[in-house]
Amino acid sequence: MPFESGQVPQGEARKRIVMQYYPYLLMFVVFDVVGMFLFAWGISFRSIAPSDSLLVLLFLFLLGAPLGYALKMALHRENW
Amino acid sequence: MVNLPSTPADILPFIIAVVTSHTFITLVFFPGFIHLVIVVMFLTWYERKLLARIQLRIGPLYAGGPGGILQPIADGVKLIFKEVMIPYKADKPLFLGVPLALVFLGALPFAVIPFGQHWVIANLDVGLVFIFAVTSLFPSMILIFAWASNSKYPFLGGLRSLFQQVAYEIPMWISALSVVMLAGSLNLVQIVNAQQKIWFIVPAFLSFIVFFIATMAELERLPFDLPEAEPELVAGWFTESSGAIYMVIFLALYMKLYLMSSLVTILFLGGWWGPAFLPQPVWFILKALVVATFIIIPRGVYPRLRVDLLIKIGWTRLLIIALANVFITVVLLSTGVLAAWGL
Repeated sequence: MPFESGQVPQGEARKRIVMQYYPYLLMFVVFDVVGMFLFAWGISFRSIAPSDSLLVLLFLFLLGAPLGYALKMALHRENW
Repeated sequence: MVNLPSTPADILPFIIAVVTSHTFITLVFFPGFIHLVIVVMFLTWYERKLLARIQLRIGPLYAGGPGGILQPIADGVKLIFKEVMIPYKADKPLFLGVPLALVFLGALPFAVIPFGQHWVIANLDVGLVFIFAVTSLFPSMILIFAWASNSKYPFLGGLRSLFQQVAYEIPMWISALSVVMLAGSLNLVQIVNAQQKIWFIVPAFLSFIVFFIATMAELERLPFDLPEAEPELVAGWFTESSGAIYMVIFLALYMKLYLMSSLVTILFLGGWWGPAFLPQPVWFILKALVVATFIIIPRGVYPRLRVDLLIKIGWTRLLIIALANVFITVVLLSTGVLAAWGL
């Protein structure tokens, strides 16, 4: 063995490892999709009416509250 | 377009026509394969020298012929002739195949990177999304490699690589969104053309900072090199790689370094635009190397972050700053402040 000072490793390598940071993973699933939609909006920002852009911004503001709540919950260790 | 040869006498002109065609030159020589290999070898040498100067390391400063140029070549020859050790019960096809896939994924995005007005292999209309799509496959490939090598340290490193993607990817996209809004296009050539009068680092400075930090996290550079944290995980996800496999993985990592510094150059630093006394590709490569320098320097300076701190910074700081810059961009564009620069 080139590492571990020559000790022979013990046990299974492909163990189950707990997926920590669960709230962040949930948020990732949500914001991945939102990011894609935002790109579609960002490309056409100049060509669409300002009122339509206002709707997207409103949507982002509405997402702000859940995002803040999720971030607050994600900082609690017991939710990991 | 070159016609296929019909008689034996046509074969030589056919070959000449193919070799001198724009497609062949862009594929093989300039933005293509040979240029890529040369720059990657230069980057390995450059990083070694830079870190040696920062940390006052005697060995890397003086070893290896004139200026240490022979050292990368010696490393390459050594690694090619070393034995490839495959761990017991490892998944052999995946263990040997994933490094090749990594090199493929590292080289593929250069097809859409414009090194000059006409120095681009494929002028793709969704170039930016294409690059994000290809680079986001890296952590999954890393996890597959880590799983295939049947060892505990690589597996932990691969999992951390996935966690890291959760932390950096969304801020990266959102910060690129401001640039897309300013340029009004996902085509990388058009994004650079929109920066002829003003570089996007000026109207989207916050985005630039976020994108740069996310880039360092994506490249697994210090202070974000959690997947290969040496004190904890031996060498991280490539602990079990040796010989030629190790060399191939390093080739892929340096290709990715060059790719991401090119992307920062395109999105924020005006791509190939510069004073006219140098050709466009030279300006582009110089800017990309400067960005690469600033990506390399923290490796000799900063300690490593904790996993939970990285993910917390990604979501509570970087994402918020990137979103704030999107709002700033909306205000700038709708009030017409940037109209003087043609935006």
